[in-house]
Amino acid sequence: MKTPRISFISALSLTATALLFSTSSNAATLKEIQDKGYIRIAVANEIPYGYMTPSNEAKGAGPDVAKLIMAKLGIKEIRWVTTNFGSLIPGLKADRFDMVAAEMAIFPQRCTEVHFSEPNSSYGEGLLVAKGNPDNIHAYEDFSNNKLKVAIMAGADQLEMMQALKVDDSRMVTIANNADAISTISTGRAAAYAATSLTVSELASKSDRVEAATGFKDPIVNGNPVRSWGGFTFAQSSTDLRDAVNKELLELKKGEEWKNILTGYGFSETDVQESPKRTTAQLCTK
Amino acid sequence: MDNLLSYIDPLLDGAWVTLQLTLYSTVLGGVVAFMAGIGKLSENRATRWLSICFIEFFRGTSLLVQLFWLYFALPILGQAIGVDLRMPPLLAGTIALGLNIGAYGAEVVRGAIQAVPDNQYEAAKALDFTPKQTMWRIVLPQAIPEMMPSFGNLAIQNLKDTALVSLISLGDMTFRAEQLRNYTQDSTTIYTLLLFMYFGMALVLSAIMKILERYASRWRTRKI
Repeated sequence: MKTPRISFISALSLTATALLFSTSSNAATLKEIQDKGYIRIAVANEIPYGYMTPSNEAKGAGPDVAKLIMAKLGIKEIRWVTTNFGSLIPGLKADRFDMVAAEMAIFPQRCTEVHFSEPNSSYGEGLLVAKGNPDNIHAYEDFSNNKLKVAIMAGADQLEMMQALKVDDSRMVTIANNADAISTISTGRAAAYAATSLTVSELASKSDRVEAATGFKDPIVNGNPVRSWGGFTFAQSSTDLRDAVNKELLELKKGEEWKNILTGYGFSETDVQESPKRTTAQLCTK
Repeated sequence: MDNLLSYIDPLLDGAWVTLQLTLYSTVLGGVVAFMAGIGKLSENRATRWLSICFIEFFRGTSLLVQLFWLYFALPILGQAIGVDLRMPPLLAGTIALGLNIGAYGAEVVRGAIQAVPDNQYEAAKALDFTPKQTMWRIVLPQAIPEMMPSFGNLAIQNLKDTALVSLISLGDMTFRAEQLRNYTQDSTTIYTLLLFMYFGMALVLSAIMKILERYASRWRTRKI
């Protein structure tokens, strides 16, 4: 039996459709974005840092500030992309979006992978536990001494904190997103979910089977209490975009509007006051 | 009940994306299945080996990893060689799903063609049919009805596999459900709705495959 060979050449060309796209490598420059008229910004669906409402409206401390900045930069349209937290940095590298507005904590390891703006917000830590706190957990340090399991989100900085506190990997339960936290805790798959204080209080308000651990103290890692500074994130080739965002962000942070956005989403006075106390350069070399 | 209504709109938005993706990737899968399935039986060695490699590769690697590879790894590879290889999520999803289901389908095609009795080929040869005519007029009309039940299975499998694209930020039904769940934390209602929506779509799909099956085997019942 003989078959036309042409069919196979066309099979190959199917796989090669990918090659049909125009040639322009690396992330877009500020000018290119301004010319195009739109910017692609990613959120990781974390309330209150950056999330989409069911009607597809972007909300949160990151998106709200980003909207103001983009208006100042003359970029009219923002195309929002929702992705898992763990896909934010890979997505930037693969040029799937131009910027991330997830209040991602500025961390030395991350600074080697992506560029950060100056801090937008700052926030402390928290623990989500089952109603009544049956295991009596009040700090990340508790997991150094007990045999319980702690849930963390894939790609989040709580992993490094737990590692610094010598919590064994086998006792960490990785979840893909915040929406899984309540069922993970209330069904006992982990004793607690380690996340930022805002995430924890937001989740605690959504279900009466879980609560925020009371009397919580931020963990002490390397002699300092942990506080995170979150900023906008860019691909390493987007320096001019980052510089432009920085300029507008620092301007915004002088005014009331910025402060109202943060406190409106539940950030505390301390969170707001701490925000300007570190620069990205400091946070990246720590 | 109010929540239920507010869930419907976003989920229907997602259902439209799921529908498109299922349609495109099933059609692509069907084309690929015939090319690779017939290719595997070709007398030309290069074609045969190419088909075998394609089938084994796409059957033997994880669909999720293929998706991630096309979406996250390929563009970086492209940057390294100075070509823009960023596919939109819908295209990446269609290609990964279509090639995957096509690799499975190719084995169905090959099996059905091989199940056509030898004397049919001999009779075709005796009547001086060219190889091409034999394939199109004798073999495939008998083989295709045999393929249809398995194709029906694969199409439904494909519909359900589309849920994986929610992980490459394509706003399909599962993606919308995750978004709603994140916002409301109402996992039970949302996931239950989602199950029924997939079930409804699968029912429609299997009805369509049934009609196609009847159409493909209509010659069998035709009165001469």
